[in-house]
Amino acid sequence: MAGIMIYSDKDELSFELLSAANLISGHTGLPINAVCINNSEQAQGLAARGAETYLINNEAINLADSKGMASALESAAIQLDANIILLSSNRRGKELSGRLAEKLAAGCLTDVGSIKVNRDKIECMRNSLGGAVLAAQMITSDYKIIAVESRVFEEMAVGKEGPINNLKIEAQPAELEVLEERAKVGDTANIESANILVAVGQGLKSENDMLIIKELAEALGAEIACSKPVATDKKWLPEERIIGLSGKKCKPDLAVILGISGQVQFTVGIRDARTIVAVNTDENALIMQMADYIMVADLHDLVPEMTRALLV
Amino acid sequence: MNIVVAMKQIPDLQQVRIRNRQPVLDGVPMTFGSIDKNALETALQLKEAAGGNVIVISAGTEELEDTVKEALAAGADEAYLVLDDELENIESSVSAHLLAELIKQIENIGIILFGEGSGDNYSGQVGPRIAEILGLPEVGYVCDIELEDSRVKVTRSLEDCEEIVRVNLPAVLTIMADINEPRIPSVTQILKAGKKPKQILEVEDIGLDLKGDKKIITLSSLAPENKRKQITVKNGEELVDALLTEGVIRR
Amino acid sequence: MEFKLSKEQELIQKTAKEYAEKAIEPLVNQIEDENRVPDEVIEGLRELGLLCLPVEEKYGGAGAGFEGFVVGLEQLARVSGGVGIFVSVVMLGTSTIAVHGTEEQKEKYLTGTCKGSWIPSVAMTEPDGADPRMLKTTAKKDGDHFILNGTKRFITNTNFAGPMVVFAKDADTGRINGYIVDKFCEGYSISEPWDKLGSKGAFLSDVYLKDVKVPVSNMLGTPDEGFQTLKVTMAMGKIGLSAIYLGNILAAYDEAFNYSKDRIYLGKPISQFESVRNSIVDIAMKYEAAKLMTYRIGYLADNTANKAKLVKDSAMTKIFVTETAVDVSRIAMNVFGSYGLMKDYKMSRIYRDAIVGPQIEGTANLLKTVVATDMYK
Repeated sequence: MAGIMIYSDKDELSFELLSAANLISGHTGLPINAVCINNSEQAQGLAARGAETYLINNEAINLADSKGMASALESAAIQLDANIILLSSNRRGKELSGRLAEKLAAGCLTDVGSIKVNRDKIECMRNSLGGAVLAAQMITSDYKIIAVESRVFEEMAVGKEGPINNLKIEAQPAELEVLEERAKVGDTANIESANILVAVGQGLKSENDMLIIKELAEALGAEIACSKPVATDKKWLPEERIIGLSGKKCKPDLAVILGISGQVQFTVGIRDARTIVAVNTDENALIMQMADYIMVADLHDLVPEMTRALLV
Repeated sequence: MNIVVAMKQIPDLQQVRIRNRQPVLDGVPMTFGSIDKNALETALQLKEAAGGNVIVISAGTEELEDTVKEALAAGADEAYLVLDDELENIESSVSAHLLAELIKQIENIGIILFGEGSGDNYSGQVGPRIAEILGLPEVGYVCDIELEDSRVKVTRSLEDCEEIVRVNLPAVLTIMADINEPRIPSVTQILKAGKKPKQILEVEDIGLDLKGDKKIITLSSLAPENKRKQITVKNGEELVDALLTEGVIRR
Repeated sequence: MEFKLSKEQELIQKTAKEYAEKAIEPLVNQIEDENRVPDEVIEGLRELGLLCLPVEEKYGGAGAGFEGFVVGLEQLARVSGGVGIFVSVVMLGTSTIAVHGTEEQKEKYLTGTCKGSWIPSVAMTEPDGADPRMLKTTAKKDGDHFILNGTKRFITNTNFAGPMVVFAKDADTGRINGYIVDKFCEGYSISEPWDKLGSKGAFLSDVYLKDVKVPVSNMLGTPDEGFQTLKVTMAMGKIGLSAIYLGNILAAYDEAFNYSKDRIYLGKPISQFESVRNSIVDIAMKYEAAKLMTYRIGYLADNTANKAKLVKDSAMTKIFVTETAVDVSRIAMNVFGSYGLMKDYKMSRIYRDAIVGPQIEGTANLLKTVVATDMYK
């Protein structure tokens, strides 16, 4: 019994998982099977990326029912002879991973931020103790379930076409019923998925100055994020935009951090950014120590200057 | 109807310091995870709306007998605990089995509540695992609950949308942190907490082998290192040029 | 010997801290400027049992004893000295009534405070001073009433309805006794509020009593117990003040410690300068010493049957804690430098609050006389 199986309810996350599976397969030689449930578009996308794809078409399987979903994936894993199961660590993926792990008596790691393969050993890195430490962990049970965070791996590029097979799975009726699905109301910014973030902190003097921040964000094609006090105390931005321990953990390609001193409660949410720019009036602010580009300046002067330079 | 709330005893994370990349846990007091407190508040509000009993379940070291007073002071009626000093840093699968055994001791259960993730590990596995052990439906990331006789209508908050789901009871629900603001326990309730009923089980009663059932090993656990370029730039133009050269932005 | 809070006391501490940070902190400037504790704060304190910590449960109190009281009040006063004084005076009124009051008096006034809307006061000091021998307010018996006349100075919470324990001299016998006056009864009036340098927030004024009629049943204790009642009040007031200024020390400690880590000077946090580190250690030591004395007086108050006997220990604790608070504020201010003087910085308020402590509820000099008298008797 050996093989890798991947599944995500989200197409792009499943393409990322395919890259993760390739990394493991590259070291172990294990075959990769990609599973799609009631989603032939995703199956085509996976096949286009070279995956041996298995499409389960059974309307009795309800995406919202973790019980039925876990059953379906359990059957798939057995039929496909897969013992390493990669899932996405989005909310649905995390619900599913715990339930599936219990079915398969498997060890399970969620929120995995990176994977390293040492011969046949798969080491997973994840935050622990509320983000204070990074733990390297390994699953020792026969079945292994790994839920990978988004954007840890690049989406697999389209290449050699793989086959799409149909996989027949029996399903029990769900004990729940979806009454309605609705888009989120209000500010739906997803700062976690933004490539570029402009983060403001208490260095911002007034709510009016948010205008220059917006102009810069627009010029950069960035989302605006903030440290906690800007949202909870000053209420200049909604709480969805908080970066940090009690906010979002983001890893954009670029984070422009303006007027934030850099306490660990904040930095835990941004330390994985690829490039960090810190702008602060205090050259000794903690944030400067974790920046790639440091600029000692008042953000109120720098921001318009930067916007102008971008729009040239 | 009994409303069960599972809570995890963890070190007070605000008091954890890092020395030589290692967390220092000596002398750090134990508390419950913050989202667990939202789950408890949810239970209390359900009780206020529809009656019933709120029962806290937890597994942990002997200190838990004291820590659980926090939950009882906040308004839980009863506690079911597994106490053992070996129960420090147990993995999710073990917690799930211990807690499932506690749940089996409780009759007439309507809803079993969890926080969406524990305060320290935030893996969010134990709720779904327990649902599987007990064969119950589960809905995660709940931001709103409406009781309807033998069913419950809940709103599940996903990354990009909300899903309104009706589910039969008993069911397992995991709760989002922003569903409510936990109440501050009153002093009167705090002083009553020690007198509320507690059922205490030993690991042996459950017949679980803590050492033999390991499914995860931790290879290392260190505070992250930070290696950055540390290039000082003088003005906005220079900064933009540097970022363009690096390829992280396009004009 | 046990130097450890019980889990329950830890939770009381947490409740007080959380409430103070969540509900009082955002209003601190308003409380200072208006010199008044807002109604929503009073209600919040009452609901959480923080208003009546030591009052017995059967009268609607929290039943947390004086140990619970000092632990809770420290956290409230850490955020607002004014709220600290407000709560302390409620304790003073309720404790005075609890110790020597009749069952009827307790049922009415303690329950009315803990569960109703009353806020008690205690009136001892007069324009000439606080020494009982100088009291000029008189109580003249007239059938089944006493008629009270006089002026009381620096009295807290006079603007709220509720009982006020007035100490007055019997016009016939010269004995001092406490009388429960319902505030805002006929003949009760108050001055404009005093505006203190610091520890602002609790309403402070003079009280004018003009032919105030008090039923005989409102006298506290028997006629010959009056001096004991006075002693109990004196002791209780000092327990409250000790907890308040312990909270003030804790606030200065927190502010100076955090500032020393955040403030960068010559390229490094000032906490890396030996002199600043020493200052922080001095503050920490002084806090620990003040805390031990304050928590101990809470313990003694719970474990001493005759509370009049607490006069000496409570006076020593009050002198030590309030003088330490002034010391600590001075050291903490030196850690801050100029920034600490600015109103935007909490340190400036903590400093103003600290200065107030040694001057109220008996100056240090006066109290040392009290302690010495007891030692050399």
